[in-house]
Amino acid sequence: MRRANLTTNRVFPLWLGLILLLSLSGCAEQSPRKMGCERCHLRIERVSASHPRCVSCHGGDPEASVATVAHKTMYGPKNPAAPEHWEKSCGACHQYQVGRMKANLMYTGTGMIKNTQLTWEGWDEQLYSSRGGEVIDPLGNRLTLKPVAELDNLSGELYRKFCSRCHVGQGTGDVYASSHGSGCAACHFPFNNDATYQGTDPVMRGKAPFSASHALEALPGNQVCARCHNRSGRIALSFQGLYDGNNSLVPTRNGSPGPVLLSGLRNAVHIAPDVHAQAGMDCIDCHTSRDLMGDGYAYQNMNLQTEISCEDCHGGARLPRYREIARESDEALRESRNYRIRMRPGMKMVQTAKGRSYSNVFYQDGTVYVLGKRSGKLFKSKVITGSAEHSIVGHGRMECYACHSRTVVQCYGCHTRYDKTVKGMDFIKGRETPGRFSETEDYRMLYPFPLALNQRGKVSTVTPGCQTFVTVVEPDGTASKNEYVARFKGKQQLRFAPFFSHNTGKRAVGCVECHGNPAFLGFGQHVVAGGDIYGTLICEQSADKPLDGFLTLQDGRVRAYSAITREHSRPLNGSEVRRTLAVNTCLVCHAKASDPIYRKELDYRALDDAVHRRLLARP
Amino acid sequence: MMLCIAACWLALSATPGRAAENCKVCHRVTLEGVHARLACLSCHLSESATLANPAAAAGGAQGCSGCHAGYARLFDHAMGTRDRERRFVERSIGRFDAGFFENRCGSCHLAGCTDCHGGSGHRLKRAGDRACFACHKGYFVGTDYYGMAPREDSLRYQRGEVAYGQSFLKMTPDVHAEAGLRCAACHSMTSLAAGEKASKGCRDCHRVSQKVVEHRIAAHLEKLECYACHSAWAAQEYGTFWLRFTDSTLQEEFEVKENAGNYLKSAYLRKQDAPPLGINAAGKVSPIRPQFLLYFSDIRNDRAVGGWTAGGQDLLENRLLAAEWKTFFPHTVRRGTVMCEGCHDTPRRYLLEAPQDRIYQLQADGMTLPSFWDRSGQKVVNGDFLPMARYRRVAAKTQEYQRAYLEKWQQLIKHVEASSSP
Repeated sequence: MRRANLTTNRVFPLWLGLILLLSLSGCAEQSPRKMGCERCHLRIERVSASHPRCVSCHGGDPEASVATVAHKTMYGPKNPAAPEHWEKSCGACHQYQVGRMKANLMYTGTGMIKNTQLTWEGWDEQLYSSRGGEVIDPLGNRLTLKPVAELDNLSGELYRKFCSRCHVGQGTGDVYASSHGSGCAACHFPFNNDATYQGTDPVMRGKAPFSASHALEALPGNQVCARCHNRSGRIALSFQGLYDGNNSLVPTRNGSPGPVLLSGLRNAVHIAPDVHAQAGMDCIDCHTSRDLMGDGYAYQNMNLQTEISCEDCHGGARLPRYREIARESDEALRESRNYRIRMRPGMKMVQTAKGRSYSNVFYQDGTVYVLGKRSGKLFKSKVITGSAEHSIVGHGRMECYACHSRTVVQCYGCHTRYDKTVKGMDFIKGRETPGRFSETEDYRMLYPFPLALNQRGKVSTVTPGCQTFVTVVEPDGTASKNEYVARFKGKQQLRFAPFFSHNTGKRAVGCVECHGNPAFLGFGQHVVAGGDIYGTLICEQSADKPLDGFLTLQDGRVRAYSAITREHSRPLNGSEVRRTLAVNTCLVCHAKASDPIYRKELDYRALDDAVHRRLLARP
Repeated sequence: MMLCIAACWLALSATPGRAAENCKVCHRVTLEGVHARLACLSCHLSESATLANPAAAAGGAQGCSGCHAGYARLFDHAMGTRDRERRFVERSIGRFDAGFFENRCGSCHLAGCTDCHGGSGHRLKRAGDRACFACHKGYFVGTDYYGMAPREDSLRYQRGEVAYGQSFLKMTPDVHAEAGLRCAACHSMTSLAAGEKASKGCRDCHRVSQKVVEHRIAAHLEKLECYACHSAWAAQEYGTFWLRFTDSTLQEEFEVKENAGNYLKSAYLRKQDAPPLGINAAGKVSPIRPQFLLYFSDIRNDRAVGGWTAGGQDLLENRLLAAEWKTFFPHTVRRGTVMCEGCHDTPRRYLLEAPQDRIYQLQADGMTLPSFWDRSGQKVVNGDFLPMARYRRVAAKTQEYQRAYLEKWQQLIKHVEASSSP
């Protein structure tokens, strides 16, 4: 009852304001119902209350009585939010957002293209993007991105024929459960699984590829993210508790491959979801608009564009930081306009790792709350700063998710074949060109997962990135490359990449579980014999190298034979491996993380002191 | 006329030593190998009642057993009768398809001596490993000895080298295979004829070294099979699915290895790490593996048909027909083992995974079992899961455990050099 009253009270002034606004802007004279477009497009849903006129976004001639004439000057005509039109359509009002999008990695693909080059045949020192363009780098320098159409090597082909399908520079309409529009529409006009319009306009109904509805989605849901993030790192799957693992297509669902069908005839089974998803949080409840749409600067890796971290809400060595909303131009005020609860001046907004305000995370009465942007639910964030488990000396080097990942999806052995005797669709050039990619795989797993140092010098989960074995078939049918391992950092080696799987658990990997199982250090499935640790799942090309790891211990010597990509990243070295394993000699008696011995540097000589000698003496 | 010829043949054959010549007038057969000097009738017995296939199991391999007395008993044992497999099918999928065993399980059983001793009886040879791997491949212990594990069923994973008709994942071979030992080194003909699994046990050749920390623990030697620790890996198939299609186009959508006729087979998950442990018939701790967690979907006119109730739910497909495990000996022996916590601090290996540790949410996908690594609703058909009282002793961190644990880890740690190579 009280809720209803509240709504009425709030809505009434809102309407008043809207009517006032419309009459001032002159929109009232041209009521949307009178537009010529709707003579055909009967009952088409309104984009939103603030987007009343068809031609503002679509262009075209609303007065023309014949469809072809009316449509002739349209932007598109299908998708006015596509990058080739967005300056005139969305950008006419949302200049700030379109400006950011032009440098956004999800649009440019610059990082992917560069990293593919780096790990395949070396970087040509040029930066590319899906469509090319002028951008500003994080240091404020002007930068020209070359169009990827000009990258004339295997990496360029891979991007154009494979990766580009999932990037907002291009739309995709024919992939089950993975189709999306291009430009702004990729996220704000969501497609359904079949990319088919199912709204209320009878003229458009059943047509494809179109968004499911003509209504704008100001706050994209998880399904929008999952349209693309269901491959490679598969974070949208892991977050929701789905695993496309071994693609065995069982169990069946209504007699079809199941239980959840994904693009490319892949199936997913249910696994334990991320604790945040389980609580009802959406992707956008953690990820800010600057994470997703960029902050205007052109980064070269997604980990640089991303501004959030676990510690922002949960604390780390220090408590979550906040800044009060003091000015009316504060982004949080503007961004929260579509939330169920709007931020107000004076609220203590929690800061991202880059020191910018979240628009939905705030302190209230000393507690950190996260507002579900779509759901309106309030989630209480547990702050861990100072707790015993999080004050272990030495663990300051750990990323939170090194312990709190339930699973990390790992694809071992990616055998990529590029066959020039057949043609493949180049989605950037828009035509078929000689050469088609296909892929097979050796083995997929979830747990345990390896750890190594990431670009921040912290211990992080890593995953193959990538273990590509390339075969190239020339037009005459001969193989110019056969299961080729590319050179990286000066030598032929496979690669792992620091990676956060988005399958977080409340319970951390146990102390003994991690320290006692060398698989977590990168030894893979293994056995221990004397001073040797060797893998049991072996690389086809080498008898002494495990496929599912990057370390071996031979005669006491730690050998790393795979690289960890990204600057400053590397596997743990001999002394770090020894230190990690040595903790087991304490853990067997001091099993709890809260044990005071872990509040200071471990002293292994303690085992020789009088107390320990007495305890360890044989009866 | 025919009668006359036959009579002549009979007369000639009555003369010992000349039999071969008589047969070879028509049958231009050259004998090779160890039997090259034998007369035809040594194996084919008689001209009047000639044994067409002297080595056939159906005839008790009469042609062979005359000399090789006693070996025909092999056909009365597991490889010949396949009783256990037959009974498994009868109590599971056979309830829905009485012809399943006859139609689907015919390729792997002994039909006669020549199955292993040369394809043709006229060129007999000693049975080699290759003969064993005609059947003992993939999930059936054999090729694992040479470091081959079955790959996932999806065509995406069916890649790489193929051996014995199976593409395989390359694993560490058994240490005995590396040393050049063949199957027959431990599986003699005499042992097979006697219905025994092997002619040699580990300790027939190996003395237990007291230098090894684990070997000094009496309970390990008394209660564990050597291969409980020394099996470096084992193929495990979690969730074996058989789908039957009748008048359905949906079958084409399943791009998996075994998809011919009206049946299709796939597996929910394959693993090849250290296998779970149970108790075998001798009461010793031994590796166990699913054999099988069998699911069945019956699809007619592109719709799942059937209908039964489980856990208060009405279900149509993915019917769990068996949740059976077997103790076994993976042929993946290595000198190395897992460390102490690999057995003493890993409840999942005893199918005692805590509910909060479950990764795969089987019930969310209608697969009945709470977890593959949860005993409820499952059994070991030729042994048992580790009794809880025994498990509690295994998991207890007694002082004896702590001392041995410390010694073991210290041994490893002191080996690890602080330097490393990139």
